[in-house]
Amino acid sequence: MTAYLASLATLAAIFAILAVTLNFMVGYAGIFSVAHAVFFGLGAYAGAQVALHLVPDALAACAVAALIAGGLSLCLALPALRVRGEYFVAASLGLQMMALTLFSEAKGLTGGLGGLIGIPPPRLFGFAVGALPLSLAALALILLAIAAMARGSFGRTLQSIRDAESAAEALGKNVAVAKALAVAFACAGAGVAGALFALHMQFVNVESFTLEQSVLVMAMVIVGGTGTLLGPVVGAVLLLSLPAGLAFLPFIPPTEVGAVQQIIYGLAMTLLMIFRPAGLVGDLSRGRSEA
Amino acid sequence: MNRPASMDPPLRCEGLARSFGGVQAVAGVSLALPAGQVTALVGPNGAGKTTVFNLITGNLRADAGVALLRGQSILGLKPWQVARRGVARSFQDLRLFTHMSVRDNVLAATERSAWFWQPGTGRRAREAAAEAALEATGLATLATARAVDLAYAERKFLSMARILAAQAEIWLLDEPASGLDLASRLRFGQLLKDARARGVAICLIEHNLDVVAELADRIAFLDQGRVLAEGEPQAILRDPQLAAIYFGDRPQEVA
Amino acid sequence: MDAMLVLQLLLGGLQTGAIYALTAAGFALIFGTTRVFHVAHGATFTLAGYVFVFAWNAGWHPALGVLAAVAVAVLFGIGMERFVYRPIQRHEGSFFTVFVAAFGVSIVVQNLVGMVAGRGFANVDTTLSRAVEVLPEVFLAQVFWVAIGVAVVLFVALTAFLSRTHAGVALRALAQNPDLIRAYGLSSSRLSVLTFALGSALAAPAAILMAMTTGLNEAVGNHVMLLSMAATMVGGVGSLRGAAVAGVLLGVAESLVLLVLDTQWAEAASFLVLFGFILFRPTGLFGVVAAR
Repeated sequence: MTAYLASLATLAAIFAILAVTLNFMVGYAGIFSVAHAVFFGLGAYAGAQVALHLVPDALAACAVAALIAGGLSLCLALPALRVRGEYFVAASLGLQMMALTLFSEAKGLTGGLGGLIGIPPPRLFGFAVGALPLSLAALALILLAIAAMARGSFGRTLQSIRDAESAAEALGKNVAVAKALAVAFACAGAGVAGALFALHMQFVNVESFTLEQSVLVMAMVIVGGTGTLLGPVVGAVLLLSLPAGLAFLPFIPPTEVGAVQQIIYGLAMTLLMIFRPAGLVGDLSRGRSEA
Repeated sequence: MNRPASMDPPLRCEGLARSFGGVQAVAGVSLALPAGQVTALVGPNGAGKTTVFNLITGNLRADAGVALLRGQSILGLKPWQVARRGVARSFQDLRLFTHMSVRDNVLAATERSAWFWQPGTGRRAREAAAEAALEATGLATLATARAVDLAYAERKFLSMARILAAQAEIWLLDEPASGLDLASRLRFGQLLKDARARGVAICLIEHNLDVVAELADRIAFLDQGRVLAEGEPQAILRDPQLAAIYFGDRPQEVA
Repeated sequence: MDAMLVLQLLLGGLQTGAIYALTAAGFALIFGTTRVFHVAHGATFTLAGYVFVFAWNAGWHPALGVLAAVAVAVLFGIGMERFVYRPIQRHEGSFFTVFVAAFGVSIVVQNLVGMVAGRGFANVDTTLSRAVEVLPEVFLAQVFWVAIGVAVVLFVALTAFLSRTHAGVALRALAQNPDLIRAYGLSSSRLSVLTFALGSALAAPAAILMAMTTGLNEAVGNHVMLLSMAATMVGGVGSLRGAAVAGVLLGVAESLVLLVLDTQWAEAASFLVLFGFILFRPTGLFGVVAAR
């Protein structure tokens, strides 16, 4: 039972990293992407390969994962950010669907549908460490970084672009660079989450990086509240405990649990947008931009 | 030209032109904005006043013409590049950073770099500039309020506070005083006079001719994308032909 | 390269392209007129297709099945406008809010369809779908001509409606200036219901054609939605003709990619076309540069 709870807590921390980094893009910079699971996957494969073939060191795995996920996101973001916001979403949806094909076909790097197995458990400078403290530490560091950025000039730049892009430009802000940096930071964070995921599960395959996963992360952000610092963490914990809760409902056949979950996520997204667009934690009257 | 360079107007445009699908919105506008003077752009709706601003700031590409900032061409530059060279503008619809606090709106105007570091300026100096802008616009007591929660006049002053804090040499203001009550207009006039005294070159789009008469040093009268007349405010405002155009011999919308 | 294979793939691509063109035209009509990024358009497609499959399997007359599919598509479209988009636009209406709400509905529809109709492929097998050899090694089913014919007729009808009828002209005016419509005393809310009804209705024949050819699955909406968005963008925002042409183009691209790659890369082809346009021609085929 303790092991189960520790594993659940580790997953919650990993998904919280995904949610807070996606929220950094959506809530602060106003850039909307449904491809966060792609960069999660890139990080997971990169981290797994480092651990399998180079060193089973968590720091190295996370660093390589962040570099690869952040770097590739930059290649995609720079052209895609030139077009209107609607089309960035369309492009990210296309990327999400294509990446899944890539992940299943690039068997040399990803192990194809079978995935990568036998990933060694995380070590830090030669010592074995638990995945839970590692993930919590990563989450804390990323939260600190986001809080610092949100208060500083970079956060102000992003928020000003979100609220009035042309006015931000008229004040001398290079909108394309600012947006690309936000995307790269968020996707590098997703990469770190991916590496931790690979080290924790000791197995990764393409099923963890689907559109459904991107939707789940998005739902976490929305349920918690966009543009708040801790809302997405709350959202991650809530939505991850949902499957455990559903398992106690006897009238749902086990084969349909996944579908029921998805329906609940979908309904939650729609209803929240209609009745409470600021999310559960966010409060419109107090201000979306305040962390 | 043997006058010293400092006497030249910092911003000078010649023959700016732009058409939209066959409609000539701006048809060869030449304009000079001298330092320490307020130039008012006056004219009926659709005369092309805002389009002239958009051409100067790089929000629109000009079909023809030149725009020189201190002798260097700024046409073809992106809006943020023009802004960094010292041209600040306001928008008719303000475009405030609605979900940010008043202070953050103004602080954002002092920070040009997109990255964490703001080369060339210290944090203290930027914060001081922001506080001074808040003080001058009477928004100091509202610094923590969100822009979206401000009253109409306060929003207009916040837009001005951003311009002030940007510390630009050239201001392009699009109807900054419209809809202001008398007390607010006086405060606005004082802002403009102070900036003029510091040597800022100001260009003002304004429909209220009382405001123009009080604040402008020169008027450029625009109609159908051309400068019909340019000169001393009193001379322009008394011209019966221009008045006829301005007050509508042709059918037009109400301002 | 085998010329007959190319011809076969080209014909198949045109058939798929006709389906995409219809769906994309509906999406483009809705987006162009109401500025709502109707991401649940894919869900409309899925629902209409499955209704037709159900009607077919239940032994209904095909005409009745078509009618039911169109009716469900129209009702779903109007329902989205009424109960999702309009309440959101009343309080805030940012692109983000609208997108998430519509995306949520798509997820619900996809999973409900999967639970009710079962996962995996569903199709109807009619005599129209049987392919015969029309040229050596080139097979063509009659449904090919049906697809092309339906797409052309509906597109011509839509264009005629928009340019000849009072309501159609009002719709186009709404696209250009909502305030103007209000000033002339026309109800922009009724016009927007009409837009959603029309745009959604176009998805029904497309979905039926897909059920008759390649078949449907519960996730087909995602694919169709992506294609519609890509076609609208490749065609140029606000251009119905552009969306339709781009829809055909994407269908053909998806098919021709099979010359060099396996089927799972078909989607990648449309994505590459989209990304190419983002890079080199962000205004699309028929788009104009908008002033900022």
